[in-house]
Amino acid sequence: MWLVFLKEVKELVRDRKTLFFMIALPILVMPAFAGMAIYFAKNAADEAQNKVLKFALVGADYAPKIATELRNTDGFSEITLPADVDFAEQIRAENVDFILEIPDHYSDNVLQSGQAIIKLHMHDAGLNLVFQRVDDIVKAQVKAQQKTAFDTIGLQPEQQTALLNPIVLEKVNTADQRESWGAQIGGIIPYFIFILCLQGAMFPATDLGAGEKERGTLETLLISPTERYKLVLGKFLTIALAGLTSALITVSSMAIWSIVLSQGMAIQFVIDIMSSIGILDFVLMFLMLIPVVGIFASVLLSLSIYAKSFKEAQSYMGSLMMLIFVPIIFSILPGVELKGGWAWVPLTNVALAIKELVKGTMDYFQLFAIFGSTAIIALALLGFCVHWFNREKVLFR
Amino acid sequence: MIEIKQLAKKFSVENPKKLSEQEKKDPRLKGRFFHSVVDVSLSVDDGQVIGLLGPNGAGKTTTLRMLSTALTPDAGSVKINEVDVLKSPLIARQKIGFLSGSTGLYGRLTGRENIEYFGQLHGMDKTAIAQRIEELSQMLDMQTFLDRRCENFSTGMKQKTAIARAVVHRPEVVILDEPTTGLDIMATQTVLDFIRSLKAENTPVIFSTHHLDEVSELCDRVAVIDNGVSKFDDTLDAFKAKAEDGNLHTAFLATINQGAR
Repeated sequence: MWLVFLKEVKELVRDRKTLFFMIALPILVMPAFAGMAIYFAKNAADEAQNKVLKFALVGADYAPKIATELRNTDGFSEITLPADVDFAEQIRAENVDFILEIPDHYSDNVLQSGQAIIKLHMHDAGLNLVFQRVDDIVKAQVKAQQKTAFDTIGLQPEQQTALLNPIVLEKVNTADQRESWGAQIGGIIPYFIFILCLQGAMFPATDLGAGEKERGTLETLLISPTERYKLVLGKFLTIALAGLTSALITVSSMAIWSIVLSQGMAIQFVIDIMSSIGILDFVLMFLMLIPVVGIFASVLLSLSIYAKSFKEAQSYMGSLMMLIFVPIIFSILPGVELKGGWAWVPLTNVALAIKELVKGTMDYFQLFAIFGSTAIIALALLGFCVHWFNREKVLFR
Repeated sequence: MIEIKQLAKKFSVENPKKLSEQEKKDPRLKGRFFHSVVDVSLSVDDGQVIGLLGPNGAGKTTTLRMLSTALTPDAGSVKINEVDVLKSPLIARQKIGFLSGSTGLYGRLTGRENIEYFGQLHGMDKTAIAQRIEELSQMLDMQTFLDRRCENFSTGMKQKTAIARAVVHRPEVVILDEPTTGLDIMATQTVLDFIRSLKAENTPVIFSTHHLDEVSELCDRVAVIDNGVSKFDDTLDAFKAKAEDGNLHTAFLATINQGAR
């Protein structure tokens, strides 16, 4: 068994394609993509912030303060439009970035003139900060007008605050910090880990089953004086190892990169998260993954040895990937908890248990049941895989 | 020696409607089962080479697969040097060396590693394997490429490695399933020389082929299978006697047609 295992691992390690998918992709490529996305997003935001906006004012005389403020602020440049033009057309032709239309009843005395609605005509598709930048200028006027009005009526500062916000609904969260963010990200984590395990195990599985058939090495392997179950176990362990390694590498790379990238910004938050989850919880999460990977490896190997060629195996595995989404999606659905029937749904229960572990609200006794039931399923599938490997119909299709 | 008696093997047919017209006409198709091998018997003594002949789909590969323990027969018996292959397949496998024209190698392993792996699977220790590889690489002239990865090998290099892999454990019998199909002239010559060397070592060889010149050059005995049934199992001379002019093609056709009448 170990002989088969060592040989398969040696072959796997020598394959650049597998190594790329298993190691380079999660360590370098994923963070590089994330970094590039952040870089471009930041660039686009900077550009929107610094772009000089061409504007036109309609009814500027009614609101001289706003007009002056706009004219004096950096990044705005006024242009004059002929009377009776179509605003939309002017904006579409990029003659002007926005047009501010001030109503004739606008005045600095809000108590007399009532609410004023200023219309901001703009092309609001794609990333732009037009509204935000104009709003900053308008808000200053709003504050000034509120103050003038309150002073006229003769309200104390506390009364002013109360009038602006008569009732404030304040949320007092009784869940501790870990529980609340655990509920938010705890569902996503098993989703990622499961998919990564499956992804990492998929290529070696194809190679170890269908690959042997395609290369014409299967027959010679079958007639070597080694029991069939030893061949299966050797291959099974290789696939499981690949799945686990791939998941571990990805998770640790995500953790390391998030710490590196968030340095100086949210590092305290990341450290809080990491330190509040105990070592025991991490170990338990890893242990829960072992039978899950066992299930994946058995199913993948069975599919792969059934397939006549690489191509056939890959199409089976594509369908398997779609199927795996179902139990994971269940665990993300709101209202699905590790209670009653859900505790017995395979894979879903493990995903839910990992979520509970992240949240720190795990009932540890339940863990035995979940681990046990998943392990039994994994063993049954492995048994099936051995039986499958003994069937002539499967091996010599 | 190898002794095969009344071997039979049937395969279940998933969907008889999907078979081609020709397959449906095959007398071996009975209901949901295709009786690939119905009654095959043959025997080879030590130091003899037997050529297994028959049209495509006659049951040659199935017979050789049963002999090599890859398939389990439904009836009959296979004995290799008094070991019942069906009762103790693991012991029998240690006595068998198997090679076919389509046998491949593990491309990401070197030639040496490929041979080593099968030596280890046969339970050989490291020194024994190293010694045997040295011996085989001398015999097959493999020193120049033995430590390179197989994926870049030429057909000839691949076939030499495959031969070395098949006999690394010094098998007592060697089974070859169309070993020269798809090979170029040089690689074919390597295989034929290899069969000659086995014969010189007194190892019985059974090989299936479509090339009658190989049969006349190497074989002591001939076995003919048609439609899963043994039609002939005797010496090469007896086979030649089937044709008046001693031509093997005529003899082969005469043997096949003999059952049809």
